[in-house]
Amino acid sequence: MASVRAASRLLSKRTLFKSKAISTQYPVVDHEFDAVVVGAGGAGLRAAFGLSEAGFNTACVTKLFPTRSHTVAAQGGINAALGNMEEDDWRWHFYDTVKGSDWLGDQDAIHYMTEQAPAAVVELENFGMPFSRTEDGKIYQRAFGGQSLKYGKGGQAHRCCCVADRTGHSLLHTLYGRSLRYDTSYFVEYFALDLLMENGECKGVIALCMEDGSIHRFRANNTVIATGGYGRTYFSCTSAHTSTGDGNAMVTRAGLPCQDLEFVQFHPTGIYGAGCLITEGCRGEGGILINSEGERFMERYAPNAKDLASRDVVSRSMTIEIREGRGVGPDKDHVYLQLHHLPPQQLAARLPGISETAMIFAGVDVTKEPIPVLPTVHYNMGGIPTNYKGQVITHENGKDKVVPGLYACGEAASASVHGANRLGANSLLDLVVFGRACALTIAEEHKPGEKLSPLKPNAGEESVSNLDKLRYANGSLRTSEIRLNMQKTMQAHAAVFRTGAVLKEGCNKMDAIYTTLEDIKTFDRGIVWNTDLVETLELQNLMLNAVQTIHSAEQRKESRGAHAREDFKDRIDEYDYSKPLQGQEKKTFDQHWRKHTLSYVDPKSGKVTLEYRPVIDNSLDEQDCAHVPPAIRSY
Amino acid sequence: MSLWRWGVSMRRHCASSGSAANALRRGDWRALSGPAKDKEPLKKPNTPRGRFDQTEKADDVLQKFPDDINPVTKEKGGPRGPEPTRYGDWERKGRCVDF
Repeated sequence: MASVRAASRLLSKRTLFKSKAISTQYPVVDHEFDAVVVGAGGAGLRAAFGLSEAGFNTACVTKLFPTRSHTVAAQGGINAALGNMEEDDWRWHFYDTVKGSDWLGDQDAIHYMTEQAPAAVVELENFGMPFSRTEDGKIYQRAFGGQSLKYGKGGQAHRCCCVADRTGHSLLHTLYGRSLRYDTSYFVEYFALDLLMENGECKGVIALCMEDGSIHRFRANNTVIATGGYGRTYFSCTSAHTSTGDGNAMVTRAGLPCQDLEFVQFHPTGIYGAGCLITEGCRGEGGILINSEGERFMERYAPNAKDLASRDVVSRSMTIEIREGRGVGPDKDHVYLQLHHLPPQQLAARLPGISETAMIFAGVDVTKEPIPVLPTVHYNMGGIPTNYKGQVITHENGKDKVVPGLYACGEAASASVHGANRLGANSLLDLVVFGRACALTIAEEHKPGEKLSPLKPNAGEESVSNLDKLRYANGSLRTSEIRLNMQKTMQAHAAVFRTGAVLKEGCNKMDAIYTTLEDIKTFDRGIVWNTDLVETLELQNLMLNAVQTIHSAEQRKESRGAHAREDFKDRIDEYDYSKPLQGQEKKTFDQHWRKHTLSYVDPKSGKVTLEYRPVIDNSLDEQDCAHVPPAIRSY
Repeated sequence: MSLWRWGVSMRRHCASSGSAANALRRGDWRALSGPAKDKEPLKKPNTPRGRFDQTEKADDVLQKFPDDINPVTKEKGGPRGPEPTRYGDWERKGRCVDF
């Protein structure tokens, strides 16, 4: 076995196959591995070294250096029912997550994640992650993210474990350091272009080396996608400029569906331009939101709670004000958060550091001027549909069917544990649990050193011809212009405020913007470190995600979790759970909306097709942990 | 002759023990004092100071707890400053990070 591993490593590192079949202009290098992981954030790194630990010859293809992935920005913590602060049970965590997802989450995946959570956190701690401790030396847990005890009846639960205020940073560095113990081959700054699919099976990935412009084909029996979310489809988002949904787009171009893309989590007060979020504590301490007329508009929308209304009410009110023309700024597209009417000493005592934040990110002196804010995207619940083991699935003839050779984990995947709404501190848990799950599933079903199935010699040539076309594109619109059009349209039409007419108008505009991709103009004709080309490829990926998001939102005629519509304010389930079930007739599958959306796009025309798939309601072991029957969600 | 041999063997013994002795043998006077404690101090870089460059007392808005133990909750190694989850989201320096 060791000699097979050594031999295949030799093959991948030393042999250069100049493949004449697919391109004469671009040097193509072929590599052979047992497994390829695309993306090196929290989930990608955990999958990569889990596979290396199991003995697989693994490659990790990433467009960023691993410690620069967006996981590093997570400051909060990881939820786990360790029971260090009070008596706790993972079944209560299971209940909280199912309720938080508004019963759109797959209960078997949630069962898996919450049951594995304590083991996952202890494993991270054994890897060296410096969690904060109690006096006895156990991991300190705090209350965060809607967690309760005894199935919602026992009060607030303390489950969130953190590392000072840099949990994501610490997680990423711990996982990267640990992965260097094993011999994972890192291909850093390689932009993955497409999946190599043949007969519905995934046989690897084709990528562009940004450093020298060569094309690399990674052949492997197992491909894991962990490329993160797609916040950059919106004008205002907290995600990095690199969160462009590359994995979702690769899967779409391969003819496979993406799931639940219309569920996008917003936060009401993100700084205009920068995208950083201002805490709700500002409003809690007396800050008010004002429009262009200087009016405290929240009094009209929520007369009792005013600025302290719940997040979705505040976001929707802000959006309505902007739509009705009372926004501020040259484009009238945001509102102001005013804090200068509060005494400066009180502000500094209760919210230390806010003046620094406002000066750095908004350029305002918080004691004199208001901060420009607007609702901002910060998480995508949807993504590539998988089962609880991490295998990518598609839906055929009413059943879920596994796509051989393809796995997904992290924010890119939709397992689906977050359903219609994600609870705080569950996403870091999702990364490590499902990253590990992908590695375990691959280790169970395959052996290291397995023979690779044959691949056509010209596999990947469409990706290379697309690359070539974009490199020499000479239309009339720049990449940045098309991207801004898309972002502004999505922010105006597919943001927090959703009604039929607004969404329909948005769908038409997005379809038109999709066709303008044909008219794109790039300037850099080189091949070495061509960022213009890479940004254009990312724009193609973003565009695929955006059209699916807005079309799925337009079709879903109900309000559930993060998807809230003004014209359909209620949740439409198979029974009306606000009344007793006795005597109610169960609605058929196409009459209710407690189902996952599966969206397909034809990349040439941009036409979106939607199908639906039922939610998995049974847990992995009904004896051990009974599933939670749907009910009305109220906190 | 025996004295010379003794000297040689002593030197060989010294050669394997202690870098100061080696330094003396080589005539490298600077290394005699051990690690670079009293070489000339490193020059400070001459880069221009930006508007937001931190001064030496960086991050003094959020004070470090004594011994890094929060006096109220007795948490060791936790976040500095007031409790981040006090407003229902994770807040630090006015910024909210909801992960």
